[in-house]
Amino acid sequence: MDTFNHLMHGFGVALAPTNLLLAALGAVVGTMVGVLPGLGPINAVAMLVPVVFALGLPPEGSLILMAAIYIGSEYGGRISAILLNVPGEASAVMTALEGYPLARQGKAGIALSLSAWTSFVGSAIATLGIVLAAPVLAKWALAFGPVEYVALMVFAFACLTGLLTDQPVKAMLAIGLGLAISTIGIDANSGVYRYTFGSPNLVDGVQFATVVIGLFAISELLIMLDTMRGGAAVRIEQLGRSLFNGAEMRFTNMATLRGSLIGFFVGILPGAGGTVASALAYTTEKRVVERSDPEGSRFGRGEVRGLASVEAANNSASNSNFIPMLTLGIPSSGTTAIMLGVLTLYNLTPGPALFRSQPDLVWGLIASLFIGNFILLAINIPLVGVFARMLSVPAWVLVPFIVVVSAIGVYSGKSTTFDLVLMVALGVGGYLLRRTGVPMAPLILGFVLGKILEQSLRRALSLSAGDVAILWSSPISITLWIMAAAVLLLPLLLPRFTRWRHNTAVKAE
Amino acid sequence: MKTDRILGATAIAVAAIMLVFGYGLQAPFAYEPVGPRAFPLIAAGMIALCGVILVLKPGEPSSGPAGPTGALAALSGCLMGYALLFQPLGFVIATTIFMIPIAMIFGARWWQGAVTGVVLAVSSYLLFDRVLEVVLPVGPFGGIV
Repeated sequence: MDTFNHLMHGFGVALAPTNLLLAALGAVVGTMVGVLPGLGPINAVAMLVPVVFALGLPPEGSLILMAAIYIGSEYGGRISAILLNVPGEASAVMTALEGYPLARQGKAGIALSLSAWTSFVGSAIATLGIVLAAPVLAKWALAFGPVEYVALMVFAFACLTGLLTDQPVKAMLAIGLGLAISTIGIDANSGVYRYTFGSPNLVDGVQFATVVIGLFAISELLIMLDTMRGGAAVRIEQLGRSLFNGAEMRFTNMATLRGSLIGFFVGILPGAGGTVASALAYTTEKRVVERSDPEGSRFGRGEVRGLASVEAANNSASNSNFIPMLTLGIPSSGTTAIMLGVLTLYNLTPGPALFRSQPDLVWGLIASLFIGNFILLAINIPLVGVFARMLSVPAWVLVPFIVVVSAIGVYSGKSTTFDLVLMVALGVGGYLLRRTGVPMAPLILGFVLGKILEQSLRRALSLSAGDVAILWSSPISITLWIMAAAVLLLPLLLPRFTRWRHNTAVKAE
Repeated sequence: MKTDRILGATAIAVAAIMLVFGYGLQAPFAYEPVGPRAFPLIAAGMIALCGVILVLKPGEPSSGPAGPTGALAALSGCLMGYALLFQPLGFVIATTIFMIPIAMIFGARWWQGAVTGVVLAVSSYLLFDRVLEVVLPVGPFGGIV
């Protein structure tokens, strides 16, 4: 009952005219940016952080806006995947795998409307899951002290390295680099300057916006030069019948449900986001269909059930991602890591206490996820043709636009040339790292969690006067350490899992 | 194979720099058992470990072909120039000047680039500086441009 009251209160916040407007605005902007080839959700959110911040909104308003942009760009990403065969990010790869063949068969309209519908179902189920699970988890997480936090973050990092790529070493390297960047600046406990190299610009650390925009938006531009040489993809112009029918919906209902549930549970895991969820949903659905209906399986040639399941899973995961972020303060994907960074810009400490100290913010955000999804469904089915037109924006307009918004965003923080130069340097560095296969999401997670991890570690060791044994002194922390070890060792013990991960990673190329 | 070795060696170098500049970090008055030095050194250790693994056991190259080197260098150069001259030249002038070559790298004709540059510069100046109150540099011509 308590939860119900809180949720109703949240709807009160989310339905306030300003916040409703922000959710609608975010949904439209998010879809538009998500459609743009090469700009996935994480780039969209990274680039728009400073712009949102510049609007001078209260924290709940800006979080509602960012969340709407985030889920909107997930909806938009499927449009470029289906029509252009260009997935905006790794989690849309599976969408392109089934959606593009469908589009080539003249069923683009069906693929688009059906995937909008299953995205909605996935998101709605996940949001319901947030309402049920988050308060319980938050209450439980209140018992977490610094010791448990250290173990939890190590578990999150282990998930990132163990689940995300087929090259765990590079994911670990990325985390290490992120942690390293987080140590730059004055040390809050002792006042010692660390790695500032005498520059006054580095005293209070590297600006959050500079890091995310440099690593994501700017490096993406250089990546665009790589992919441009591959020749322009063939864009599907004919949409065909624009709405799926009842038979198609019934045909995919079970697939949608399976995908939603897989997405929800994978999304809760720290470190695992839409990419893992959509890959897992895809392989599961393929196995189920090949067992129950081997004649009718059209996987790889435009299978609506595959598309339904993947989109449901992807969106479900991107919503349930909010659970660890809100209850534990541990983001489980690069995008929620950025949103967490936004919270800290408002001097709010993410974590379980947020449910008690900021009910407006937390419940307003949850309620606005419901509302945002309705808005997205409502604009995505009739307006898909309008959004699809965004695909014809030429790169020579798109790139300068990204550069200008990025530069303004970075400059708006401290108004220094130093930050702009750093942004470009990080962009080029990020490009080189991505070229060598180092993923960026773990780097951002390391950067965002670095300060919290260090503080927890130091506080824990202060409690024990320096005895490291305190780190595995409580049942919760021991469990988390064992789970972390399991996630890291699993690939070594299960060759089949490694093969699966390798295959999904290859498909993601 | 080769790129992984270079990556690994670079990682080791970064870790070494972190060690050299981090080893001397000591709090003047230590009132907690873990000082400011431990965490950076843990991160450095992690980076070094990954670097060593990459040098000893490089994986197969995984990414597709790189873009044309000339274009990559030109884009990086333009971005750096834009970053450096953003403040001295002022937002409107710097944006107009640098967006022309950037647009051309991505296939625009010079006049298409010029139109993009001018429109972007003026419209985003009005939007951000005037409406959203993000103060942008005005440059040598002050409020005239």
